Order: sequence, then structure tokens, then C-alpha cells
Amino acid sequence: MALKSIKRREKDLTFLEKLYIPEILKGLTLTFKNMIRPKFTFEYPEEKFIPPSSYRGRPVLVEDSNGEERCVACGLCSRVCPALAIEVQAGETEREKERYPEKFEINMLRCIFCGFCEEVCPEEAIIMSKDYELAFSNREDAIYGKDKLLVPISQIQDKIDFLRQYK
Amino acid sequence: MSIGEVIIFSLIKILIIVGLLFLTVAYLVYFERKVSAWAQNRIGPNRVGWKGVLQPFADVFKLLLKEDIVPEKSDRIIHALAPMIALFVAFTTFAVIPFGPDVKIFGYNIPLVVADVNIGVLFILALTSLGVYAITLAGWSSGSKYSLLGGIRSSAQMISYEISMGFSVGGVLLLSESLRPIAIVQSQSGWMWNAIIQPIGFITFVVSAFAETNRLPFDLPEAEPELVGGFHTEYSSMKFAGFFLSEYANMTIASAFIVTLYLGGWQIPYIDLLGLPSGLVIVLQVGAFIFKLVAMLFFFLWIRWSLPRFRYDQLMSLGWKVMFPLSLINIIWVALLIMVFGL
Amino acid sequence: MPKIKIDNNEIEFKPGQTIIQAARDNGIDIPHFCWHPELSISGNCRICLVEVEKIPKLVIACSTIASEGMVVHTQSEKTIAARNAVMEFLLINHPLDCPICDEAGECKLQDYAYKYSVGESRFTEEKVHKQKHVDLGPRVMFDGERCISCSRCIRFCDEIAKSPQLTFVQRGDHVTITTYPGQQMDNPYSMNTIDICPVGALTSKDFRFNARVWDMSATKSVCPGCSRGCNTEVWVRDNKILRLTPRYNPQVNSYWMCDHGRLNTFRFVNAEDRIDSPQLRREGQLIKVGWDEAFAEAVSRIKSFAKDEVAFIGSAYATCEDNYILAKFARSVVGSSNIDFVRRADNNFGDDILKQNDITPNSLGAELVGVSPSKSGLGIEGIKKGIKEKRIKALYVIKEDFINVDPEIENMLSKLDLLIVHASNQSKTTSVADIIFPAATYAEKNGTFVNFEGTIQRIRPAVSTVDADRALDGFEMSRLDKFGTSFDRWARGTKHDAKATWKILTSLAGLLGHKMKFKMAEEVFEEMASIEAFKGLTYDDLGEHGVKIKTGNVEEKVNA
Repeated sequence: MALKSIKRREKDLTFLEKLYIPEILKGLTLTFKNMIRPKFTFEYPEEKFIPPSSYRGRPVLVEDSNGEERCVACGLCSRVCPALAIEVQAGETEREKERYPEKFEINMLRCIFCGFCEEVCPEEAIIMSKDYELAFSNREDAIYGKDKLLVPISQIQDKIDFLRQYK
Repeated sequence: MSIGEVIIFSLIKILIIVGLLFLTVAYLVYFERKVSAWAQNRIGPNRVGWKGVLQPFADVFKLLLKEDIVPEKSDRIIHALAPMIALFVAFTTFAVIPFGPDVKIFGYNIPLVVADVNIGVLFILALTSLGVYAITLAGWSSGSKYSLLGGIRSSAQMISYEISMGFSVGGVLLLSESLRPIAIVQSQSGWMWNAIIQPIGFITFVVSAFAETNRLPFDLPEAEPELVGGFHTEYSSMKFAGFFLSEYANMTIASAFIVTLYLGGWQIPYIDLLGLPSGLVIVLQVGAFIFKLVAMLFFFLWIRWSLPRFRYDQLMSLGWKVMFPLSLINIIWVALLIMVFGL
Repeated sequence: MPKIKIDNNEIEFKPGQTIIQAARDNGIDIPHFCWHPELSISGNCRICLVEVEKIPKLVIACSTIASEGMVVHTQSEKTIAARNAVMEFLLINHPLDCPICDEAGECKLQDYAYKYSVGESRFTEEKVHKQKHVDLGPRVMFDGERCISCSRCIRFCDEIAKSPQLTFVQRGDHVTITTYPGQQMDNPYSMNTIDICPVGALTSKDFRFNARVWDMSATKSVCPGCSRGCNTEVWVRDNKILRLTPRYNPQVNSYWMCDHGRLNTFRFVNAEDRIDSPQLRREGQLIKVGWDEAFAEAVSRIKSFAKDEVAFIGSAYATCEDNYILAKFARSVVGSSNIDFVRRADNNFGDDILKQNDITPNSLGAELVGVSPSKSGLGIEGIKKGIKEKRIKALYVIKEDFINVDPEIENMLSKLDLLIVHASNQSKTTSVADIIFPAATYAEKNGTFVNFEGTIQRIRPAVSTVDADRALDGFEMSRLDKFGTSFDRWARGTKHDAKATWKILTSLAGLLGHKMKFKMAEEVFEEMASIEAFKGLTYDDLGEHGVKIKTGNVEEKVNA
């Protein structure tokens, strides 16, 4: 009688399970189903992933249609950056907005693509682009200066539109 | 046929078979990678050649170029000998596998088997159990605890499953009344395949074959997570390739052996009733053999990418407490069939 | 003492104090733009409006005299509404471009906008445009749009700098600040207006757009520009001093410092001509060597002279610790009593505000720790004479461009057999030296200065050297300093290989067989405390504002 009181535990196998064979067949069916399912792998270098507008790729600086950068070197991106990837050195200019970045560097080895800089930017000047192709062979190359960061606005217009809609 | 002619024909057959076997083994590696990819919703190798078909050559080339590392504490001679044993055993076994009925070319009656040995089955069993030496010696000579554990596991596993394998074969032999592979194939005419007549024997044999070839779920001698590669931990370059190739060659042999013993070999049921020309029948039969072989090989790969590895004690209890009694039951079952139906 | 009640706190006040002063003395902060504790009351910004019971309208706390039994509410509904209204009013014409403005981060208007404003503007019209880049003087820029017309700068020039140069012009929302016709704001204290400007209207031409305040570390230090010893903060980023600002010290400089001290006392720390490693003269040429080699050379050459052939020149630019160790080194290690320092006075420099004619920060200190000839030893004139007469053959100079004192010294120095110099920058003296030790500047070490009034004050390291690490030696650290690694350019900066003078001297003393067991400047100071004037003092006692010590007759001697 005492034996009856022992409850069946989760790990106890039923007779069919103990036979192994049906379970093995189940497993085989599952893997076979997967074999004939369509694949969704991108064959990367030939076939590129085009991210949606919400994607956060490498941060870039917007170059306005008049060829000037929007950035006023306020340093908020640098301040908010949790990884301290951004270094800004401001300078003075004759333009209406009297401040401009003399030096603007993002250390892509430090960047964690959180997008805080984009969010904090009061001038809509730093944008997380869709560019995800980042490879360097040394530490110095990973520091992107203004030459690499400035991108004409036409190339990131869709991203800016997205931000205007949702930010 | 004179002796000279026999030698010449044998040499030609050997060349063809070894060549084909190498190719099969090479593409089996490619195929394994593809199957694993498909099972995991990936694409698999697709860079070298069209759809990656040249991948096996790239693999071999890579292994060739690698540095051959021999551990300081190893027994150098045995360390080098072990992969050779593995390869030798794998390739020799194929000599007695028939892959088609006798053919008549240039007036000669040629059996499509390298050596029509009348104890072929014993020959295969003997050689495959020799294969364990390769692994055990590799494990022992490497001078590494992982290798040694792998080697020990391998021999223990081999001994345990050889028994159930032998008893399973016993069932087949009872029916065919011969140790000649060709005779065994011929005894399975029509739908009298041993797989159908003695399903228990078929299952125990297939399971034992998996264990003998160290394929998952029985790859405890390698067991990457615990043994870092097991017996071949200390092997690199072409010596490693030797083990690698012999594993796939063994798999091919095991498949061929299963096809021969249980799936009617080259036979296509009732093909002689269709009244086709004999030449075409032979081609179809060789094709059938190859088809069955490939299906069996796919099954090997399929199992590997579906099932997890056994624990060592589970492996042992399965071998001794389940496989062994089942193979005995199978012999009694076959004996009963013979007694009752007089097969 | 009479009492008033502010926000249910019963506080005492001195008769005649305004509400804002009484509150401030008791740690209650009432917002203010135009009010400044050291300036006259103007009462034009209206942000300090508070509610006083029994007075029907709100009153401005800055000009309402506290009286017995007053009950003041600084957090009542009415006050908060009034502040919000004042903020909204101020922000109507103030440009909302903090990202561009250089004051961001230390802007009163910005802070109060967070604290006391609802953050919404109902003003949709065009803002008033005024002149933006106005050159008020040689050192100060003015941005008319940012100005909130608090008049602090005007009152500063009138009352503190005593040179009225600024005034309001125009009316209403067109009111702006300008200099009197034909004048510039060029008084020697003009840059204090930048500090007291509550917004970014007045900016320093020198520092404008250089760095965000939150990226710098601020170290409490003392200006070495004259013997006033104004308390300063040294602002550092990338291990480079970017600006100095005055720090409040009621005994010494109040809230102010002069433009000379602010602009000219840090450049040499960053300068290109820093001496970056010990140097030895070999075959007429100065070559860079390692510390050990320089020490060995110095020791072997000092040993070759008789006691009285060696003379020592201390420095009023060096700290008390440096001078004390030099005196000790001269007397008990070398055994010479020919020790003195150069007294520098510029009679055109001083004024009756802050600047002093003695343009060195520590002449009193040097005197006190014993850098002066004892009876048998030679003073500065004696040393000069001794060199001429070849009685003095070796000279040891710390932190002093000796040649600059007197052109004729240049010829004299060539007569010396050995000239050892501790210097931070290249100078005429280093160019003729035989051995140069790179000395840490005042911004790179711990130490003390004694100002002309006898107030002993701490300086603290703000710039790290090879010898002193920012983190390990407890410097002030900015966020960048804390989290930078050796792979980040901004964390690296330039590190000079310089050591504090007292450290160099103790190393030499050790090699000459006289162990001096000092690891920190603080330990030197503890030993110095045996001197009567410093009796029992420790660095902790000096605190942020220093301690006035009894200097006895030394003061008169120095200031004479």
C-alpha cells in the first residue's frame, strides 16, 4: 500500500518513453522538418541586410544641405555617452551658431550603440545610421574623426524622418 | 580465369572501390556539414566552389598545411601508427562487400566484389574490432589524460556492443546458412529482407553499428565537452585527418554492411518479373545498392544531428541490459520462424 | 541676538542684515541673480522675492532688512508662483541655446530654470536681437542677448575694481551693457566679471569654447602670481590646465583674483619649454640622462668641493617644504651656511586691492624655514661677491632664474665650477647649468605657501607627472580621468617627468649618506612644525582657507 502513495515524478519515464524508439522518431521528425524548411540566412557580403529605420548602426554627424555640419559641439553626447566614446573639442566660428566642433572623435571600440547621443542631441546632428560594417585592424583606425563621421543629410534622411515621427 | 586475370580484375576493382570510397568519404564530410546546417536552419558551406562542393578539398588542404604536433610525452611510433591502423582497417573491410550481382564483361564472369570470401562476415567483424586498436593506441600513446580516457572508453564500448552485434548477425546467418556476403544478399530475394523478418535484430545491429563507429549518440571516446576531443586531442594535421577519414570510412562500411545484411544488398524486389534486359537490371541493382547505402549514410548523419550523447553509464547499461538480451531474443525469434515456417 | 523665522526655522541674525544674508548665514538658499555678498544691493532681478507675513506684497529678500519677529516663507505657493513668473520673464528674451553657450554647466539661469521654472514658455513672438560678439576689453567678450541685466559686472567695476568702465544703455527690453565712450573694460580685475556673471553673457577670451566645465577637474590651489596668494581653483582636462578661477577666502582674496594671476600663472605648466628629464653638461653640451645618472654625477661633484665653496639659492617661488629641505640639505648634509634667496619686488605691480609688490608667492615662507644666511654664512650679495672672487665654486639654485635677477650674474656664473639647477622650464640659468633636475611646478605637487600677511595655505597637485599619479596620489578627478584607460587619447595627456624639489634633494641627501625619510610633502611639513611659526600645525589644520601664523619680526624684515 505504501508504494501506491509514491507520486509519479516529472522525470519518471512512461513505458513508451522507456522504449526510446518512439521518442527517437519524434526527434528525427523534428530535425527532418527543419531540414526542409526554407532558410532565411543572408549570404552576407553579396546579399546585404538593409536594416529598418529603428536600427542603431554607427553614429554619424549630419552634414546639412549647405555643406556645414549641424553639430554645435555642446558636448551633451560626450557627457551622456555611457562608454565615454565621444570626444569633442569646441571652437568658435563666424556662423550664426557661434560654436562648432573643431575636433569630433568617436572611438568605435568604446561605442556600445546605445543611441543616447542621438537621443540627447539638441541639434539633430548626431544620428545612429544604418551602417553596421565596422572593422579595424588597429586601435587608431577605430577612432573616427570628423572626416569619417560627417555624412550628407540625403543619405540619412529616412532615419531622420523616423526620429521626427517617434522621438 | 587464370590467376593473372583474377589479379588484374581484382586490382581494377580495388582501384575503383578505393577511389570511390575516398570520394564518398570526402563528400560525406561535406554532406555532414550540409545536413547539420539544414537541421539547424542554416545554409552550410557555400564558399568553395559552386554551393561549396569543393569544400572537402579545401578541408583536406587546410589539414595538410597544418603543423604536425607530436606531444613531448607521447610514444612517437605508436602515435604515428594509430591513424594508419584506423585507415587500414576502414579501407580493407570494403573488400568483401558485394555491391552488385555477377556481371559478364568481355566474356568473363566477374562478381562485383573485390574478394568473394566465404567467411566474409567474420572477416568484417574481425577487422572492425581491430579498429578499436587504432583508437585505444592513439589514446594511450598521446600521453594525455583526455586521450587516455577516450581510448579506454572506446575499448570498453567496443567490447560491450560487439557482443550484441555478433548475436544480431547470428540471426541473419541462421537464415542465410552462409558466411558469404553474396549468399546473404541472395537469401533476401523478394521482400524477404532481414530487416522485415527480424526487426529486433535489425534494430540491435544498427544501434551496435552506431556504437562501433563511434557516431553520436555513442561518440563517448571523443566527447568534446568532457574530453576535449578524446582520443584525438593530441592529433593535428594529416594524422588527425587519418582519424577523421577513417571515421567516415567506417560509417560507409557500417552502412554497406547493414545494407548487405538487412536491406537486401543490391536487390530490387521482383525486378526479374519486369523482363528488363539483363544489362539494365545490373545497372539498376548497383544503383539500388548505392541508393540504399546513401540512405543509410543519411540516416547516420540525421541521427547525429537529432540525438544528444549518452552518459557513460547509460551507454553501458543499454549495451549490456538491453541490446544483449534483445539480440538473444532475436536469435530465438529467428529460430522459431525457421521451426514454424521452415524458412 | 534678534531672531526671524524662515520656513518655520527660527534663526538668529545680526542687526542690519537683510533677509537673504540672514538666510545664507544659516544655510538657507534664497535664489538670487543680481545680489552678490560683496557688492552693493541692486534689487533688479526680482528672483529673490519672498513672502513675509503681515506685508501684503512679496518683498525682495536681498534688500529687505530683517527685523525681530519677521516670519518669512521661501517655499510658499505665492513665492513659488512669483519665482516661476520671474523666470518666465527672464527667459523671454534670453536665447534658449544652452548647447552653444559656454556658461552651460555653471549657469545660474540654467540651474534656476531647472529648479524654479515650469519649463514651458508662452512667448511665441520674435525675441529681441542684440549685439552678440562685443569686445568689452582685451580679455572679456560680451554677448548682449544672453545678458539678463543684473548689473553685477557694472557694480563690480565701480565698487571692487574701483574703475568705473561699464554702464547700461538703452531702455526697456533693449537695455544692454557697454563701456563708457572711448574706454575699454581693461582694469586689472576685469575677468572677475566673468565669474560673477550669472549667465553666459561675459566670457573669457582665453577660455571661451575651450572645454565644458563638467569635463574638467577642479583642484583647490593658491595663485603664485604675487605674495597675496589668492585662493584658486585649477581646472584641468587631459592633464592640461585650461583655466584658473578664484576661490572664496574671506581672509585673503574674498571672491576675487587679478587678471594677471588668472592668465599668466599657469601657462608655464603647459608650456613647450618644460624640462622633461634630468640633464648633464658633457663636453659643453646639455644632454638628457636618467635620474640615477644625474644623481650620481651631482653627488660626486658636490663631494669634490669644500663646505664653504658651495652656496645655495633658495626660492620664493618654491614651497616651504622645498625651501626647508634645501636649508636642511645645505646645513646638515653639505655643511655650508651660504644660503639665501632672491627677493623680488615690482613696485609697479602692487595696488591697494589685491596685488602686492612682492611678486613671489612665498618669500615669507622661505625666510621662515631658514633660507637665509646664518651669522657665518653669506647672503645673496656675499654669494655674488664670493663667485667673483672664486671663493664660491659651486652653486645650487632651486626654481629661480638667477641670471634674470641681475644681468651681470651671467658673466659671474661662467666662473663657477659647478652649477646645479632645479627648474621646471628652460631659462637663461638652465642654459648655463651643469646639472639640471626637472622640478615639479606648483600645480604638480603638495606644499604650502606663506603669503605676505603670514597666512599659510596649501597647494595641491592638479596635473599628474611621471612621479605623481592622478588616481593613486588622490588628485581631483573628472569623469574622464576616472574612466579613461591608457588607450584613450584624452586620458593620456602629456605627463612631464618632473619631481618635487624636496624629493630630489632627499634623494641626493640619501646618496650623500644622510638619510631623510620623507615620502610625502606632509611628512616634511610635520618636521617643519618644529619651527616656532608652524608649531603644531598639520595639513589638516590648514584646511581650505589656510591659517594665519605668528611670523614675528620676519614679516617686517621681508616686507621692508
